[in-house]
Amino acid sequence: MKMKRGKPKVDIPSVAMGDIAFNLLIFFVILAQSQDDSHIQWTPAKADNLKGAGYTRVTVTIDKDQKVYLNGQELSEGQLASRIESNLGDAPAGQRKVMLKAHSDCTAAKFEPVIEAISQAGGELVHILEDKKQK
Amino acid sequence: MKFRRSTKLLVDVPAVASGDIAFNLIVFFLVCASTQPDTGRSQILPKSEQTQEQKEQDEHLTVDLKRNAILINGDPVKVSEVKARVKAKLAGKSRPDDRVVIVKSTDDVPYHAWIEVTSQIEDAGGIITLQLEEERTVDVPQ
Repeated sequence: MKMKRGKPKVDIPSVAMGDIAFNLLIFFVILAQSQDDSHIQWTPAKADNLKGAGYTRVTVTIDKDQKVYLNGQELSEGQLASRIESNLGDAPAGQRKVMLKAHSDCTAAKFEPVIEAISQAGGELVHILEDKKQK
Repeated sequence: MKFRRSTKLLVDVPAVASGDIAFNLIVFFLVCASTQPDTGRSQILPKSEQTQEQKEQDEHLTVDLKRNAILINGDPVKVSEVKARVKAKLAGKSRPDDRVVIVKSTDDVPYHAWIEVTSQIEDAGGIITLQLEEERTVDVPQ
């Protein structure tokens, strides 16, 4: 008499599927944060009566060496207005926020042309500052 | 002869998923840290104008910012007095055009000083207009 050998049951291990899916989700969330300017060194100026700045597609930063960055990429002041304008596109009023992160000690020679460029591009300027009451 | 039955069971905390848990915690705090909301002051900027008549500028309140001094219509004031002085000068002026304050800064004025003074002007009801070197103006309605 011949015994028939049963086919071995092969399953893909599905115990860790939840973990894998969650990790993939987090991975893409981090990738989606394209405006990574965490490498830029700057200190915010302090002021009173601040409000939440919300979120925007366009951030202009002036670092401690007075270099100008748009969404984390260094560029010259001459390019700034056109680049902001193209980033803002046809966004309606109220959705044309441009965050300005200027180093506390940067001088008017640097930040005023930047403000002018934001103005020319039709941006709604938000100065990113630190509350005086903190610390 | 009696054999003693061992009743003690070996109980281990399941440690298989510890690596996953630790990794997820790291990622969670990383995401929290990178999405911390910013705070600030908003200024709505219309497009800048190339020139403006000198006569019109003369009619408005002018704040000159220098590295170590603040002048309102030529009179030196302390930083702490700016709000009160601007408020007094703008008293009784209700039309937005009358509340325009022209801010002229020298190249060496630091941003923290500029933001402190312009914040006080806005808090006093002024509408800031920047006068830049190349005779360009930026209107900042409140």
